[in-house]
Amino acid sequence: MKTQNYIIKLSVLIFSFLIVPLLLYFTGNFQRRSTLMETLSITTILGFSLLLSQFFTSRLNIGLVKKIRMVNVLAIHRFIGYFFIAVILLHPFFIIVPKFFDNGVSPSDAFVKLITTFSTTGIILGIIGYTLMLLLMVTAYFRFKMHLNYKTWRRLHGYSALLFVIAATWHVIDMGRHSNTLFSTYYVLMVVIGVFYLLKTYVTNTGKHENKT
Amino acid sequence: MPIKSINGCIGCEECIKSCPTDVLRLNPDSKKAEILYPEDCQICHLCRMYCPVDAIVITPDKSIPVIVSWG
Amino acid sequence: MKTKHRKISRRKFITLTGGAAGFAAMGGFAMQVDWALNNPEINAETLENNRITTDVLVVGSGMAGLFAAVKAHDAGAQVLMVSKGRLGSSGQTPFAKGIFAYDKDNEALSIDEFVAKVSRSALGTNNKAYTRQLAEHSLARVNELREWGFFESSLYNKSFSKPIEERNIPVHERVTITHLVKEDDRIIGVAGFSIDEQKVLFYEAKSVILCTGAGGFKPNGFPICDLTHDGTVMAYNIGAKVTGKEWNDGHPAKSENPAACYDGWGDMFEQKPSTTRIEIRHDLGVDMNYMAYINGGAAQMGPPGRGNQSNGVSGGPYRPEEFTSQGGPGGHSQDGEEIQGPPPGDSDRKRPLRKEGKVAPPGMGGSVVGGSTAGMSIHKAEGLVPINDKCESTIPGLYAAGDALGSYMAGGIYTQIGSSLSGSAVQGAIAGETAANYSKTVKSKNISTKKLKSIEEDILAPLKREAGYSPAWVTQTLQSIMIPNFVLYIKKENLMKAALAYVEELRDHHVPHLRASNLHELRLAHETKNMVISAEMKLRASLMRTESRCSHFRLDYPEVDNENWQAWINIFKGEDGSMTLEKQPFNTWASTTKSSEIEANS
Ligand SMILES: Cc1cc2nc3c(=O)[nH]c(=O)nc-3n(C[C@H](O)[C@H](O)[C@H](O)COP(=O)(O)OP(=O)(O)OC[C@H]3O[C@@H](n4cnc5c(N)ncnc54)[C@H](O)[C@@H]3O)c2cc1C
Ligand code: SF4
Ligand code: SF4
Repeated sequence: MKTQNYIIKLSVLIFSFLIVPLLLYFTGNFQRRSTLMETLSITTILGFSLLLSQFFTSRLNIGLVKKIRMVNVLAIHRFIGYFFIAVILLHPFFIIVPKFFDNGVSPSDAFVKLITTFSTTGIILGIIGYTLMLLLMVTAYFRFKMHLNYKTWRRLHGYSALLFVIAATWHVIDMGRHSNTLFSTYYVLMVVIGVFYLLKTYVTNTGKHENKT
Repeated sequence: MPIKSINGCIGCEECIKSCPTDVLRLNPDSKKAEILYPEDCQICHLCRMYCPVDAIVITPDKSIPVIVSWG
Repeated sequence: MKTKHRKISRRKFITLTGGAAGFAAMGGFAMQVDWALNNPEINAETLENNRITTDVLVVGSGMAGLFAAVKAHDAGAQVLMVSKGRLGSSGQTPFAKGIFAYDKDNEALSIDEFVAKVSRSALGTNNKAYTRQLAEHSLARVNELREWGFFESSLYNKSFSKPIEERNIPVHERVTITHLVKEDDRIIGVAGFSIDEQKVLFYEAKSVILCTGAGGFKPNGFPICDLTHDGTVMAYNIGAKVTGKEWNDGHPAKSENPAACYDGWGDMFEQKPSTTRIEIRHDLGVDMNYMAYINGGAAQMGPPGRGNQSNGVSGGPYRPEEFTSQGGPGGHSQDGEEIQGPPPGDSDRKRPLRKEGKVAPPGMGGSVVGGSTAGMSIHKAEGLVPINDKCESTIPGLYAAGDALGSYMAGGIYTQIGSSLSGSAVQGAIAGETAANYSKTVKSKNISTKKLKSIEEDILAPLKREAGYSPAWVTQTLQSIMIPNFVLYIKKENLMKAALAYVEELRDHHVPHLRASNLHELRLAHETKNMVISAEMKLRASLMRTESRCSHFRLDYPEVDNENWQAWINIFKGEDGSMTLEKQPFNTWASTTKSSEIEANS
């Protein structure tokens, strides 16, 4: 019984955050480019969708926590967290990887152009998101050294994650090479559900707390 | 369409400056490059090659039959 | 987009002209007015104008413009560069990958022998002084380019910017120059407009160097759609002599997607440039056009693999014997080789047609079509007539270099591979230095207000027209008149006269009604105007040259006529403003005064 639920839950997660984006990618009317560029694109897209899955593999997902052992959930959460944050951290570099293989604009020139063009909302949001992501990583890593009590830390992590997700999603929808309507709808949907989960937990918690005082 | 689509544009204007026939312009609202005069595209790929983020896709066809010396 | 445009103009039309016209617009009449109606997106009255002053003004930012600006600056002049497009990313320069450098230590031929061999291939049409100059200076220019990083990238903007930025030379990009201003028989400035800002610009300069490249009829398959012989036509308009209009560049394009320049050249545009050595040929004239003409078009030619001989075509353009190795006797029977040869005066290694081996010329499956460079002559053969080997034109203070100068460096056919690009570098440098020295001897002069006004009127006229012809339509019409093989390439008197009648019609009744609704279209309108004049020049010069030589082929005069035609043809505005032509014997310099014994052409 327990294992079955576990499998169903996981399948749902895999379906929503791996299969759906891949489907959207391959059925979308996108111009196919070189294998290298395609691979980089898919990696980045999955990096982002799996990052979104973080909402659902954290402690917040009480359903899942109850059904399978907490340790497992956290393991998935952490693995996805570190691995795909790495992907997202590297994605600005992915964009210029093709420049290593042609004779045109040099990779360094392309990169400088990329991080010094502040004219679009997308880029600014991207930079904000990137900084928040770094913050999330650093605080997660040094969590115990910061001497915060667990509740405070969790709240800090949760809220900055929320900010990050909003900035990042907006950035993706605005800038993404593959952000068509379907993709955008999918992202927004996932974020809304995720935020709903997050707020539900936090607000109910805080609410209870405030009621007492 | 010769120059077909621009996706993932960061608005650096490299393509706009590099296009010899003034096909591309910056959209004043989105601050991204847009294909404004595709009928004048000579399919030379300079814009694509100058784009730092490989945002531009070009196909070899022209939307109207072209005039050649015999055919 | 189209529909939106149309709706707006219709609504506007109705509101503007009231009920009566609105009523008419609803009837069949609507079609006639609606398409012609101009719908300006900008207000021509509010365009600002700006005056900028400099010693030497360089117009154009290709290979010639680069060296003209650098060398004029180094010779002590204040320099400003202005270009329709971007430095190193406009004109033909971005696409040329082979650059000739004559290194005496590495070549078997001496400069004298080199010049003699080029002359032999060119059947005397080359100007020996310019051919020699190319060999003498090419290595030095190539070395400078190497220092700036030219050979390190397939894109030239960065390496071209290096010397320009080091010298703080201002560059005005995306400014289309439309007028040269002459006063007291010397050049005093130019005028044009920006396609980004609503601005008419006047540049006052002691000397002007036209590095505006060549041009064509915005053909499909060769990346020259931003070039419409603007320099040549502007200079012609103020009385300069121009030349070289009867020659033809005979580049073909793939029959599948003929407009796709990039694809037609394989991945050559993505390659870094490299140098070429002496390799003199007799290339890319109209042999293939002749073959297609005789065989009835590519479609009816023999299947792939069938030997060329069985398609045997006799006659056709004459090819000197020493240069038949690539082309076979008569130059046509082995065109398969010819087409796999180098691009115009270019590096043969990089010729994609050879590499891919897929594209066969007519007669071998017929997968190419002609006319991809329609309207363009041989590089360096057309343009302003020089009066000496210093790139000086027939108008004091006005210089030209590279593809804009009719220097006949290579002659009326492509001879030395890679020489077009280095020729532009060499001539640019010489023109820059000469113009800088000249500018020290004259005082700058203001353009009179009256002139400013009239030029501004002229520039903005298409924006102010209430209705008119779209530049795109006039261009297409011109293309269909000029580009057919039997008009532009395989020439006959009656057909050229017929085409001339059409072109005169465009000149007199369509060009004056060109309309523009924005700055992009304003540029197209001015380009269209220049193309029509250039077409007229091409037809008149081709009619006048009653022989065949190099890349000029007349079906009614198929032989080389050395008795009458050891001469170039110069074109200029006659006393009455009509187009006038004269002969100038090979290897003589043109005079600034117009020849008294003008051989007017009908
Ligand atoms: C596809 C291709 C391949 C080639 N390959 C080779 C090769 O391998 N080797 C070789 O030697 N040659 C080659 N050539 C030829 C060579 O590119 C040209 O001969 C040479 O680059 C000409 O340089 P230029 O500076 O004289 O003119 P261009 O490079 O044509 O420059 C003209 C400049 O003038 C500007 N301009 C024009 N009109 C105006 C105006 N009205 N107002 C303001 N500015 C204006 C343009 O913006 C441009 O900057 C090739 C050409 C093409 C198209
Ligand atoms: S392919 Fe060439 S002509 Fe077309 S938009 Fe790009 S740069 Fe301009
Ligand atoms: S070069 Fe690329 S990133 Fe820059 S404006 Fe053009 S499409 Fe956008």
